[in-house]
Amino acid sequence: MSRITFQDLILRLQNFWATRGCMIEMPLDLEVGAGTMHPATFLRVLGPEPWRVGYVQPSRRPADGRYGDNPFRLGKHYQFQVVLKPSPIDVQDIYLDSLRALGLDLTRHDIRFEEDNWEAPTLGAWGVGWQVLLDGMEVTQFTYFQQAGGIDLSPISAEITYGIERLTMFLSRQNSAYEIEWGGGFSYGAVRKQEEYEFSKYYFEVADVDLHWKLFGQYEGEARRCLENELVLPAYDWTLKCSHVFNTLDARGAVSVTERVAVIKRVRELAVACAERFLESRRALGFPLLPAQEQAS
Amino acid sequence: MAEYFFELLTEEIPAWMHDAAQSTLREQLSKLLAEVGGAPDPFVTTTPRRIIFFLSDLPLREPDREEEVKGPPRKSAYDANGTPTKALHGFLKKYNATADDILDAGEYVRIRRKISGRGIDTILQQRIPEIVASLRWPKMMRWNSGAHSYIRPVHGIVSIFAGGPLPIEIFGVASGATTVGHRTLAPGRITVAGYNDYMTKLELARVVIDAMRRRHVMAERARMLANQVNGTPSVDATIWAQWQYLTEYPGVLRAEFRREFLALPEEVLVTVMRVHQKQLPIHGSDGRLTNSFLAVLDNEADPDGNAASGNSFVTNARFADAKFFYDTDRRTPLVHRLDQLAHLQFQEKLGNYLEKTKRIEAIAASICTHLGIDSTDTLTAARLCKADLVTEMVKEFTDLQGQIGGIYAREEGHPHAVWQAIYDHYRPVSIDDLLPRTVTGAVVALADKIDTLAGFFRIDARPTGSKDPFALRRAAQGIVQILLNRDKWQVRLGVDQLIDFALAAHTDATNLDARRELLAFFAERLRTVLEISQYGFAYDEIAAAMEAGWAESFTDLVDRITALKAIRNDPNFLSILDSAKRIANITTGHESTRVDVRKLENETERLLDELANAAGKQIDGMIAAREYRRALESFAAMAPELETFFKDVMVMVDDPSVRSNRMSLLRKIGQTVWKIADLTKIVVDRSEYHP
Repeated sequence: MSRITFQDLILRLQNFWATRGCMIEMPLDLEVGAGTMHPATFLRVLGPEPWRVGYVQPSRRPADGRYGDNPFRLGKHYQFQVVLKPSPIDVQDIYLDSLRALGLDLTRHDIRFEEDNWEAPTLGAWGVGWQVLLDGMEVTQFTYFQQAGGIDLSPISAEITYGIERLTMFLSRQNSAYEIEWGGGFSYGAVRKQEEYEFSKYYFEVADVDLHWKLFGQYEGEARRCLENELVLPAYDWTLKCSHVFNTLDARGAVSVTERVAVIKRVRELAVACAERFLESRRALGFPLLPAQEQAS
Repeated sequence: MAEYFFELLTEEIPAWMHDAAQSTLREQLSKLLAEVGGAPDPFVTTTPRRIIFFLSDLPLREPDREEEVKGPPRKSAYDANGTPTKALHGFLKKYNATADDILDAGEYVRIRRKISGRGIDTILQQRIPEIVASLRWPKMMRWNSGAHSYIRPVHGIVSIFAGGPLPIEIFGVASGATTVGHRTLAPGRITVAGYNDYMTKLELARVVIDAMRRRHVMAERARMLANQVNGTPSVDATIWAQWQYLTEYPGVLRAEFRREFLALPEEVLVTVMRVHQKQLPIHGSDGRLTNSFLAVLDNEADPDGNAASGNSFVTNARFADAKFFYDTDRRTPLVHRLDQLAHLQFQEKLGNYLEKTKRIEAIAASICTHLGIDSTDTLTAARLCKADLVTEMVKEFTDLQGQIGGIYAREEGHPHAVWQAIYDHYRPVSIDDLLPRTVTGAVVALADKIDTLAGFFRIDARPTGSKDPFALRRAAQGIVQILLNRDKWQVRLGVDQLIDFALAAHTDATNLDARRELLAFFAERLRTVLEISQYGFAYDEIAAAMEAGWAESFTDLVDRITALKAIRNDPNFLSILDSAKRIANITTGHESTRVDVRKLENETERLLDELANAAGKQIDGMIAAREYRRALESFAAMAPELETFFKDVMVMVDDPSVRSNRMSLLRKIGQTVWKIADLTKIVVDRSEYHP
């Protein structure tokens, strides 16, 4: 196998999932901590409508920044996210096929599914599943969504989240994320190292704490105003902005243990309100993605 | 005789849930087998994604049984001439019986009818789905349409009875005779005819179904691989309990991490490997950690070394992160971290960790003063014990709190007494855990735990029922374990004093409610520890001895209970007990005074008084020397004189001064052993003494 690049991996995953009946979405154009927060996951897992989607999502986790010094930890990494609703009974087999599509001969590697349940307190969401270990290295989070925005889900969605830097490192036998090739001869480090350094410094040392607390309050207020005007998608955008501002304050060490609980609760209340409102809005539309015979009259 | 074989194919079940699920299933199946008369001990096993059982020597039918059926009253079953009525005819017809079947006697007509047993197949079809579907798992999930809830989605069922398929259905999945092999090595479909056929075919399809066999194969392989580098695998039951349920085709690999990481503290390396990677460290012949380790593999071998290099890769990555934390941390000595503790909240109403640290220091100082020992090292350890909470290493590996602080203190050149005390101060966290190694460590551990307890009791955040979010029971149990081990020798300290020191360190020291409730809480924890630990004391022995005092010294309490336990098997025990109970009953409410010898009227009571004086002195001496068993024996020896007294002398006489004097005499005798135990609390099954 020739050395796989970061973009090879993305292209192969996109192709694979496109041929498996998924729509290839684009990343959300806001700062989020995970692909789960994209409306294409968080909102679409709600209600009875079927959904199949795959997309790359840049994921910012301010507290994970290491100034570009640590070869494995990044303040921003990329996820390839797949959501299948309802979860097909052979979803694990399809996932293994996606690894084969990346060029892996699974009879010569060790693959294990080890319990790893997922919970996002800010989203009122949780699921049950595994981390997938490829030769002992975690390359994918595999989750059966049980609840989102405090709402019990039915049908259940399967969420497959590939950590694509890690997977590329593994497949191209590199010991540092910065050494993998992105594509076109550019290394990941050449493209991103400056960004990792500057954002680490920003999130840990420079970010204006007062400003961020103020922003948090303003974003929260705007989310509520949107909800009052029955504009759920804008409300959800502002909710995600609150979440990122909170992560920034947290990385800055500006959130005490008590405040933490209270702030998480405030974001969750917004997420829960958005989830409820979104479900209502789909119901009002008669759940248009349902097959014709099942649509609400 | 017939056999039944069952397989449920699902998705990877969490490793830690298998043992409990197997034993519940075994229990349920045994119950079923007992009902139908099958051979006991069903074979039950699991792989990560299969639940398997095999029932052999099943009878083809359940046994026939007879049943009595009640019919009409005799009065209405026969007319005046004794001729059967319509009612009787109807009854007999319904059960296909004749007049000959009617049983004699009784107010009602009764018949006995034979019910032929159902076929085992019918019973299995009904019961197996119930048993399997009702297994309760610690965390259930829904899938697909969300209609069912189980540990993981159900894919297929093999159900074979007497060589043929026996159709059943669980969660809408119908059974058949096909399954699949290993997920990646042999994923094809396999048709099976029964248990033996299944076992053989699955083995060829790279699945070893028996969990015990997988474990043995891996244990043997682990030993061999470690041996090749002149080492031995760490003994670790937790890892083995998981490994056997992480593979269908058991394998172990050996891999290496970069040698430079051996410079990291061993505790960190071992935690990363064990807890985060489920790997087994290898120790060299010199007992030191090597840079080789073992990892589980769902294959018999690792043909291209992919899994070994993957495991090395991940472990090196983890260690690189740990090294980053370690290097960063060591730039700031523990003592310079204390200010940061002011920003780390302990509990909303109980302040931050700097405030907690100050209280730990104050309590530790009180303990040292009380014990009359030099407090320099103890106070240094107390001041630094929480500083590691703001290190990167503890933020990442929270399980290592205390240990990391200890290691850093050691590297900063603090003496043994200091670094070991920091290292040990969370101990013990369970009944089997190690205790702090040193007196300094014991004092800091006591101070930390009692501060937590006093704080939460002060703000009325006590554990209720199963809710104990701040692990206060564990803290109290830790104190009990430490004092049980040390209060006789180095740490002569009662828990009552400890509570007072702690309440004094919290600003509102005069909280009598908290004091009283803390004592009650400790009494309860103490009882639990004494009952579950290696002592094996009975509940009433503990209660009797605690009635005579417990808070001052736990070890003294143990000595007294031990004496009670020993004397309990003594034939004299019943008479001791009788005397004690009699004295307690008679003297209830009596205000004891000094016995007035002049008022003793007859020889029996004068003799008893002399005996009481002599024996009392003797017993006092024995109690002072902690010879509790001898003291109880001496008390028992007074039994004959006491019996004579009760026979010859009337206590409840009219003359109040004589009555009172006699009660005081009895009380004096009773009191001789009240310092050991309240014997009236002992529950006696008298049949033991008079068989």
